[in-house]
Amino acid sequence: MAVGLLNGPPLTVGRLAGRLARLLSLLVAVAIGTFVLLAASPIDPIEAYVGADSASIGTEQRDQIAERWGLDEPPLQRFTAWAGNVVTGDLGTSQVFNEPVIDVIADRFMASLSLLVLAWLLSGVLGFALGLLAGARRGTWLDRTLTWWAYTLASAPTFWIGLLLLYVFSVSLQWTPVCCAGPIGALPGEISLLDRLHHLILPALTLSVVGISPVLLHTRQSTIETLASDHVAFARSRGERLPGLVLHRVARNAAAPALMLQFAGVGELIGGAVLAEQVFTYPGLGQATTTAAMRQDIPLLLGIALFTAILVFIGNLLGDLAHRAVAPQTREQGGDASRSESRGELRDLAREQVTP
Amino acid sequence: MTPRLPLASRRNRLRRTGTAAVLALAASTLVACSSDSEATSGEKPTELRLAIGGESEEGYDPTTGWGRYGAPLFQSTLLTRTADLGVENDLATDYSVSKDGLTWTVDIRTDAVFSDGEPVTSADVAYTFNTAAKAGGLTDVTGLDEAVAIDEDTVEMRLVEPRSTFVNRLISLGIVPEHAHAGQGDAYAQEPIGSGPFTFVDWQKGQQLIVERNDDYYGTKPDFERLVFVFTDEDASLAAARTGEVDLVALPSSLATDEIDGMELEAVTSIDNRGMSLPAVADEGKKSESGAPIGNDVTSDVAVRRAINLVIDRQGLVDGVLEGFGSPATGPVDGAPWYEPRSAIDDNDPDGAVAELEQAGWIDSDDDGVREKDGVKATFNLLYPAGDTLRQGLALSVVDMVRPAGIEITTEGVSWDEIDKRLHTDAVLFGWGSHDPTEMYNLYHSSMAGTDLFNAGFYSNEIVDEHLDAALAATDPEVANQHWKDAQLDTDGNGFTAPADAAWAWLVNLEHTYFVDQCLDLGELHIEPHGHGWPITSSLTQWRWDC
Repeated sequence: MAVGLLNGPPLTVGRLAGRLARLLSLLVAVAIGTFVLLAASPIDPIEAYVGADSASIGTEQRDQIAERWGLDEPPLQRFTAWAGNVVTGDLGTSQVFNEPVIDVIADRFMASLSLLVLAWLLSGVLGFALGLLAGARRGTWLDRTLTWWAYTLASAPTFWIGLLLLYVFSVSLQWTPVCCAGPIGALPGEISLLDRLHHLILPALTLSVVGISPVLLHTRQSTIETLASDHVAFARSRGERLPGLVLHRVARNAAAPALMLQFAGVGELIGGAVLAEQVFTYPGLGQATTTAAMRQDIPLLLGIALFTAILVFIGNLLGDLAHRAVAPQTREQGGDASRSESRGELRDLAREQVTP
Repeated sequence: MTPRLPLASRRNRLRRTGTAAVLALAASTLVACSSDSEATSGEKPTELRLAIGGESEEGYDPTTGWGRYGAPLFQSTLLTRTADLGVENDLATDYSVSKDGLTWTVDIRTDAVFSDGEPVTSADVAYTFNTAAKAGGLTDVTGLDEAVAIDEDTVEMRLVEPRSTFVNRLISLGIVPEHAHAGQGDAYAQEPIGSGPFTFVDWQKGQQLIVERNDDYYGTKPDFERLVFVFTDEDASLAAARTGEVDLVALPSSLATDEIDGMELEAVTSIDNRGMSLPAVADEGKKSESGAPIGNDVTSDVAVRRAINLVIDRQGLVDGVLEGFGSPATGPVDGAPWYEPRSAIDDNDPDGAVAELEQAGWIDSDDDGVREKDGVKATFNLLYPAGDTLRQGLALSVVDMVRPAGIEITTEGVSWDEIDKRLHTDAVLFGWGSHDPTEMYNLYHSSMAGTDLFNAGFYSNEIVDEHLDAALAATDPEVANQHWKDAQLDTDGNGFTAPADAAWAWLVNLEHTYFVDQCLDLGELHIEPHGHGWPITSSLTQWRWDC
């Protein structure tokens, strides 16, 4: 990727400014969209906060709660006040956690990071390797099994996979823990790195499932296409055989869509984390998102929406750069102006992936 | 075949690393297991692990509502409830209410200390109440004008108006130390200090809360040195119970039918109830303040409401929908000290229902199975929150049960938003159940009609209002209880329950189901409020390990 940064078309100041402007407009759109959706949501935050204790909280007390949260003002006023604060760097206070939104996101994201990275690597490496394998063995039982498996995974809900893994590995086999980021009853200082890894395995495996299928299927497809191309035929005629062919002639070509998808899939990964973390009681950003959504915690949800939008944007940017570094033809053609057809398709594909 | 070999060996390498990963995993499991068994070995474990939910995301500050039911763990309260919902002293040694009901004088014990060593003073009590009254949290102290420390061990609470239910604040509000709470912002909630049976050790948000026994606690000391509360979802809780990682787990009754090795099922009585609100006024085109239409021409007839109450087979609902984990409900407060047992009726009585309807002029003249009166068909909608399978089950069963009486109910699972707009014209399947009889006032007093979800049917009866007002104004708990009972059914036959106005059709009280380690003796369990899980901790200090 570093090579790509150096060798690709120079990232001029103008291009950077363009990217930033795009990011800014994206954030504004996300903020407005999220707020409108939340304002139209059927959940009443005060009713959700009061919960089961409903009847012992009188009207006067409800008014007090609304006042504390600033809910006694009309939505437009609340939004402009919030937006004004955001410009000064203040994302507000989470209603659920009673802490500054920025602290909640920072705390929770640190917990999610290891999970996301592990799952991301797992899905990328597994998806790519298996995709190459399936493509190279096109039409065999191995290819058919892998393809079938990929379609099954793609259509299986994350939480269902999580529950399945939980019952097989944690309950029946008892290889993995049932919950949390550390052993039950252990203080943070007592938790070893091995403990943390041990608690990370199942959630990461569950989460990686989200990304494996698209990478696998696209890698398989481009492997098949490249194997049928002229330069591979030429290499074949010179006596090169399958494993070498795939490694030397195909892998690099197939890596371009895989990388692109992998980076563009960051959004989906975060979406999947919401479910995976819920099943395994993993205290990350996903779990916080669920709690915030159930309780209609608008400041926190807006904060999380902005934060994930930035992450997805960065993911797409890195995908672009990585793609440029790996796929020589796009580098040679250079610039955003003239893209190859396949690249255009890829971008469409990538765009489909950003929605979490 | 030759070209395949390298790939195959690659695959083998992959498999080897896979095996290595599994081995590493197994090794770490062994490590985890050995450390586990160290912690739990020995005859009597010192650590108790519970998966009963109840994480307070905003922290453990009683002034914003922490510990309002169940045990506040870290703090202690002035009074506590006994298992049958009676009241006994805790931090308080005595309390009295002035004749006008406006001044409550509470004497507090002098031997209680906070876990930081400072004594609990009357100033702390006054501070706690004054702070909670303004905090805008989940403890409603709006009835308090001010609390004043009169001397070392006496606090005077001055109320805005007489309110017998203020006793519930003395029961539910944990006392915080002024020196560690005032001006601390939200820091206190993250690391609470109090005079309760446990002290705070660590809180890993979204995962677990670890507490230790407070050896300076003035009351009965708990049997366990350390408690761990694991905040898992239902499925993970069940998994944790199956692997023996937790000693007590709260599960919905639908998951309570399985057997778990080493654990016993405990079904705890509750006043967590479900019932139908029935609009009590006719449709005259009126609208509530929020613009929702009011009135239903069918349920506004008391004969229809009584017939519904008579024909429903509540035991059938308990057996069929609750899998036996519950009891028939006769009113909103079954089993509480302010419950009127005479309000119970003999249900599953289609003949009685038919007689009631025919006497009131509801006749099936066109022979379509549904009765009419003055051109109005005996049919109405019953709403329940979509996604609540329990209420859905109850609603569908009720439809079948009332049909033989010639009443047709259409059920609809809708959002709360939708319920908010239709709750004055349609029947709604609600769930209530509080240790605070204020709930009864909110549900049946005419002044509460159309306020939030209270008195959704615009029920109004002057005599019932008088009883409810008298109950709130009473200065003696016994007198208050008598008025609460009269509101349900007084000696003249007035009241909101089934034998009189039948304002609602109450259906069932749930039993809250828990799996408990066979060796854990929970003692006498309290009648639980609406809310499954945390309330079981209210008797925590009495739990014993008996193996």
